Amino acid sequence: MTRFEPLLVLDDIKKNYGAIEALKGISFTIGKGEVVALLGDNGAGKSTLVKIIAGGLEPSGGRMLFEGREFLARSPSEAKAAGIETVYQDLSLATNVDVVANFFMGRELTRRVLGMPVLDEKAMEAVVAKALASAGTRIPSLRTKVEHLSGGQRQAIELNRFVHWGGKLVLLDEPFAALGVEQTRRGLEMIRAVANQGIGVVIITHIMQQAFQVADRIVVIRQGVVAGDVATKDTSPDAVVNMITGETLAAAGAAG
Amino acid sequence: MNPNTRRTLEFVLDNLVWFMLLFVLLVFSLFVPNYFQPGIFANIIEASSVLGVMSIGLALVIIAGHMDLSVESVAALSAMAVGIVFCSAGIGMGVQLSPDWLGVPVSLIIALAVGSAIGAFNGLLIVKLKMNAFIVTLASYIWVRGVVLALSGGRSAQDLAPAIRWFGVQRLLGLPLTAWIAILCFVVFSLIMAKSRFGRHLIIIGGNQNAAFRAGIKVDRILITSFVLAGAIAALAGWLLAIRTSGATANLGMGLLFNAFAAVVIGGVSLKGGVGALPGVYAGVLLLSAINTAINLMGLPATSTQVIHGLLVLAAVLLDTLKLSIRQKLA
Ligand SMILES: Nc1ncnc2c1ncn2[C@@H]1O[C@H](COP(=O)(O)OP(=O)(O)OP(=O)(O)O)[C@@H](O)[C@H]1O
Ligand SMILES: [Mg+2]
Repeated sequence: MTRFEPLLVLDDIKKNYGAIEALKGISFTIGKGEVVALLGDNGAGKSTLVKIIAGGLEPSGGRMLFEGREFLARSPSEAKAAGIETVYQDLSLATNVDVVANFFMGRELTRRVLGMPVLDEKAMEAVVAKALASAGTRIPSLRTKVEHLSGGQRQAIELNRFVHWGGKLVLLDEPFAALGVEQTRRGLEMIRAVANQGIGVVIITHIMQQAFQVADRIVVIRQGVVAGDVATKDTSPDAVVNMITGETLAAAGAAG
Repeated sequence: MNPNTRRTLEFVLDNLVWFMLLFVLLVFSLFVPNYFQPGIFANIIEASSVLGVMSIGLALVIIAGHMDLSVESVAALSAMAVGIVFCSAGIGMGVQLSPDWLGVPVSLIIALAVGSAIGAFNGLLIVKLKMNAFIVTLASYIWVRGVVLALSGGRSAQDLAPAIRWFGVQRLLGLPLTAWIAILCFVVFSLIMAKSRFGRHLIIIGGNQNAAFRAGIKVDRILITSFVLAGAIAALAGWLLAIRTSGATANLGMGLLFNAFAAVVIGGVSLKGGVGALPGVYAGVLLLSAINTAINLMGLPATSTQVIHGLLVLAAVLLDTLKLSIRQKLA
């Protein structure tokens, strides 16, 4: 934890959905260039936390410090403006438009024609082609509507999108759920490469092996509280499983 | 399937309405006496200008995944407002401006102000208060028509100021300027939809509003703008209507909504949002107009127009479903 300069500090973040207390006070820190794997059972509150950081949900309590300053994104566009990119568990693609339109969603390039801004399709297509090629993602035509693509291809587009736009902090909510072995390997490599640029990464996954492969630190959430926060090298898959299920909390605490 | 066949098929599907229009024109030209003459084609375009303009606004909100049933009443109110100010007979106040031509921009501003205000009202209720678009605009459809009735007291305004009428009289290449205005609107808004960020965002919102929001697109602002545009465009249709009829009556434009709806759906705009383009809508408008003209020429009773339009809408929706399943097979 000391190895990284703090990027985002979560301090006692709470979220209630009506009577349900989804988050009961989450505190941990994400460092610059650090990959944090966020683990926990279904319904533990992982996605809720990600949405709060990304400006899609308002917390019921607590505060955040982003680069040392008090921070709360009231909308995804505010979070983006601050440099936070998010890949959501339920993908965020508009399937009625093509790959290029999705890649540049909300950030379309324009050129001036008679003084008016006109979408610069050629330039955008070139950028997308380059980004996908360097990530080894094959998609038949960038002008295909996304509805004609497979689940894995869609996820690949989302992943490439965040790698391309970068920013300061990247939040990934189960980004590999639909990916094959090779694509997952590339995805993990991409995450490392992104982190090596000094970007902080939070990745949610249910696959222990992925967490140990890519993460510097593992944070476990159980029933809305942090049940463990340990450096990957100081723990083992078995210890983490215990934190997730809550069987031997004391042992997990000792490991951290 | 090889990519070329697929591309051809998609092209045909995307432009189906144009093929239908050509087919219908061909059939009518062959079988309806006196149909095939330039004058008739000019007539088809001329007769479709009001409907065409109105359909643009409706198409925009439907592409964005919403609905605007108020366009017909908004057009009527704008026409009535223009009529009351600039007509010299009936309930018209016969306002004279000097020079004469000032009446043109002033009447346009009046119409557009009325339309944008109602559009903004609809948009705010739907976007900010999250009310259902169907209900909100249905209510507007009713109350705005009510305002028209109340303003006119059931009477009409006649004899629109000649300077404004000029747009309906003056011809360019065989078409009155009103028709050129409609064509210009289609060109401008087609370009906006295909080439601008606003258009791109509107389509994305129609496809996946949540994704658009997450991508940082100002969804609320764009949706409200689309309702304001629909209102303003409907008002322009009303202005053209006032010119066409040289005034305004209390029940002006009744039934236009359903024709606009038919044109939009026939034109390939999907009611579930995110799908469709304005050139297709124009083809849809021309198709309806071509059929009306044929009905007139054949001397069929005007009542049969309604039956045919109804069937056409059904056919269009059927086609939409069919296209969807073909597309799924293509995927
Ligand atoms: N919109 C909502 N309204 C009400 N309750 C919600 C809502 N979203 C999530 N919850 C509840 O909040 C809790 C945390 O959900 P969340 O989606 O954050 O879990 P998660 O850790 O991401 O689970 P998974 O691994 O299954 O994705 C769950 O109990 C869930 O039922
Ligand atoms: Mg989740």
